[in-house]
Amino acid sequence: MSAPRLAQVPPGVQCFVGDEARRRRGVEEQVVAVFEGWDYEEIIPPLFDYADVFAGEALASRTYSFVARDGSVLALRPDFTSLIAKVAAGRLRGRKAPLRLYYSGEVVRYEPVKAGRQNELYQMGLEHLGGDARAADAEVLAIAAECLERLGVKGFVLALGHVGVFAGLVEAAGSSLAGDRIEELRDRVESKDPAGVRQLLQAAAGVPRDVAAAFERLTVLGGGSATLSEAAAVLAFCAPARAALEELRAVTDALEAAGLGRHVAIDLAEVRGLDYYTGLVFRVFVRDLGFEVGGGGRYDSLLGRFGRPLPAVGFMLGLDRVALLLERQGRAPSSPQAAEAVRGGTLGEALARAVARRGQGVRVRFGNGEPR
Amino acid sequence: MSLTLALSKGKLLAGSEELFKRAGLPFPNGEGRKLVVPTGELRFLFVKDMDVPTYVEYGVADCGIAGRDVLLETGADVLEPLDLGFGRCRVVVAGPAGRGFAPDSASSTRVASKYARLAASHFQGRGLGVEVVKLAGSVEIAPGLGLAHGIVDVVETGRTLVENGLEVVEIVAESSARLIVNRASFHARRAEVQKLVDTLREASARGQAL
Repeated sequence: MSAPRLAQVPPGVQCFVGDEARRRRGVEEQVVAVFEGWDYEEIIPPLFDYADVFAGEALASRTYSFVARDGSVLALRPDFTSLIAKVAAGRLRGRKAPLRLYYSGEVVRYEPVKAGRQNELYQMGLEHLGGDARAADAEVLAIAAECLERLGVKGFVLALGHVGVFAGLVEAAGSSLAGDRIEELRDRVESKDPAGVRQLLQAAAGVPRDVAAAFERLTVLGGGSATLSEAAAVLAFCAPARAALEELRAVTDALEAAGLGRHVAIDLAEVRGLDYYTGLVFRVFVRDLGFEVGGGGRYDSLLGRFGRPLPAVGFMLGLDRVALLLERQGRAPSSPQAAEAVRGGTLGEALARAVARRGQGVRVRFGNGEPR
Repeated sequence: MSLTLALSKGKLLAGSEELFKRAGLPFPNGEGRKLVVPTGELRFLFVKDMDVPTYVEYGVADCGIAGRDVLLETGADVLEPLDLGFGRCRVVVAGPAGRGFAPDSASSTRVASKYARLAASHFQGRGLGVEVVKLAGSVEIAPGLGLAHGIVDVVETGRTLVENGLEVVEIVAESSARLIVNRASFHARRAEVQKLVDTLREASARGQAL
């Protein structure tokens, strides 16, 4: 028989105490204040739901699911977006769009454990459902920037891409690209590997030359807003990709007008992510952390699954990574007010004094019976 | 702020040094066993070749030089903007010469490899239930000793295979040295990273034209 696992910790979970917990709570309060400041309403969805709600290839294999007593398959939430889409299409059906909703809480996923990516993750995010798409995209990015500025994060970059660029090129390639090869190509573009893209497309017979050249250029099309003009020339033959670039242009122009241009970078090799993204996608990178601290994007077809087709865009920050980042950037968590020791006399007298001091808002340490 | 580079002291060292010298970039030499070497604008970390992608993925190093074989094996999530052209080799399936190696003909086939992950996914992808035995080195002696029916290993000239009575059955992947870059560094240290990529690209092209 194996030893009882009372002292062991399963991989993928963490426990936070004292300063660590205070840092996390502080971050959450600041981020939530920004969400509220943009007039988003909090939503606290359930911890588990039917597994079907979280369908989607990217999440299904990473979901903690179990069979309920009645035989239905349930899953602990692996993300918030699907749940919020379900609520918006269900209980909030009568509410007029646009809906602005935010959340803050844990999700669980089977994931290889890496820095700041445990199996239990704490996400703070929001969803903007319905309304004018470009305005919503710009709003969400402005909120993301404000969160990071408010947290005092130094040197962050919002790297913007668009699903429509890669998808448009795949469409232009037609039947010469299929199935596994598209996924391999996505992986090579995502790794910004021009040599790999070239090799793969040489092996796939019949990809039109301009399409192949454009795929290869995607790996190097990144940088400031000048990138968009350069990309427009490379992708001129591909209408869906051109439309995607125009959307990006509208959003970056708005961000520049709002003085946020310095935080924005274009990255047209940004093509991965959950399979429900349909438009703008972005990730937040910071100099002192090797991994992204958050990200988001547009998912216009998810709500239709739940019977209320609405365009939508969302964004989330990983609290675990933000906390790690602030620690790296040398930011101390707020320290609590020093406690006043209350003791002496009978237990009743001491407790009465403690209660009175609490009434005055003082942090007390009720030390009766403790050695001095 | 200077960029940190992760390099291996293994088979890619000579090629890396040559490339950096050609590019007019500093490169530590004669530092003996020192593993962290600052040289003005660049800081060098010398680690095991299989660990280079890890240092870069975690952002401890901004950039690194790793073989494509190692990237396939580690599955690290890093950018690979440049094929540096040196360190060319192939990852192959090999079996006893003359007798071949047909994993689909037997019900239980064992393959020894340092590239356990790559080997497993290669056979899985083809619907073959092959048992992969992970070894740390001297993989080519495994079939002769009866540990495995075949191997998955890196081949440059093929001499080691011949010496051990093995022959190539199948090519799994072509490999060469790659410049790899951390995802966050690519964006958050854009100018410095781009300058390094451009400098090395130019030097690499000049080297391959020679």
